[in-house]
Amino acid sequence: MSKTTRILTVDDSASMRALLNHALSSRGFDVVQADDGQAALEWLAVNEVDVVITDINMPRLDGFGLIEQLRAGSRHRDRPILVLTTESSDEKKSRARMAGATGWIVKPFDPDKLATAVRRVAH
Amino acid sequence: MNQHATPPPLPVQTRITIMQGQARVSAGPRVEFTTVLGSCVATCLYDPEIELGGMNHFLLAQPAVASHLSEADAHYGVYLMEVLINEMLAHGAAKQRLRAHLYGGANLHAGMTRIGTMNADFARQFLRDEGIPLVREDLGGTSARRVDFRPALGQVRCRVVEAALAPEIPSAPRPQPVCGDVELF
Repeated sequence: MSKTTRILTVDDSASMRALLNHALSSRGFDVVQADDGQAALEWLAVNEVDVVITDINMPRLDGFGLIEQLRAGSRHRDRPILVLTTESSDEKKSRARMAGATGWIVKPFDPDKLATAVRRVAH
Repeated sequence: MNQHATPPPLPVQTRITIMQGQARVSAGPRVEFTTVLGSCVATCLYDPEIELGGMNHFLLAQPAVASHLSEADAHYGVYLMEVLINEMLAHGAAKQRLRAHLYGGANLHAGMTRIGTMNADFARQFLRDEGIPLVREDLGGTSARRVDFRPALGQVRCRVVEAALAPEIPSAPRPQPVCGDVELF
């Protein structure tokens, strides 16, 4: 029996979290949620996930900071991290890539494309 | 004569129409955003400390529960609210200073789905969830509205207009925009 893929979504918008939760849960994923990068970092210090999906613009610790801190440690160095953002600039996409992101998805997201991307990076 | 009276605002030089599915911000003292609303809702956000404002105009609140490809587009409030807030923050606003106005959400046609009410309810709930104070609203009813917003002043004028001026809700499926593109590095 295959294990359910567990996803941590990180987004400061409660409405977007609800939308993501529904889109991913209804496609068979186990979804955990954090409302900014700092909360995600604290949760990931003691928990495991298969994939992280993070927004960029968030209070306390933004998506870039979250990726950099996860990549700086050994625990989440190889964890797939997808950025899901309203940002569409090449400069920010490049920055995410340099920080160690696995992929870049522009909102508004398509639930099926998002699910396909998660399955691809989760192995 | 009051020597400390606030000078009148500069006349509008640039008037920008905010169409369905758009969000814009500006700190221009002579800029005015304008839009006409039927069941759609426009959100005006203002940061008084840096005199920056922004407006969006959304068609529908959020995708239906059984969301499919054709429903994931830029006309949804859940997306346009985030775009507007992010644009405000990117231009120096602070979320805790933001103040909101909401307009529109009318039900123009009796007997049809109350899209206006759903849009208005969504917008109020969104602001509550995000902790952004709603300082003024003119929502609901059965009349179309024209909203003029001076983003650098945070001043809004909302008037009732003929329903024929309000953009129609497309009854046929909307053209599929490019969205949710995935790029794996």
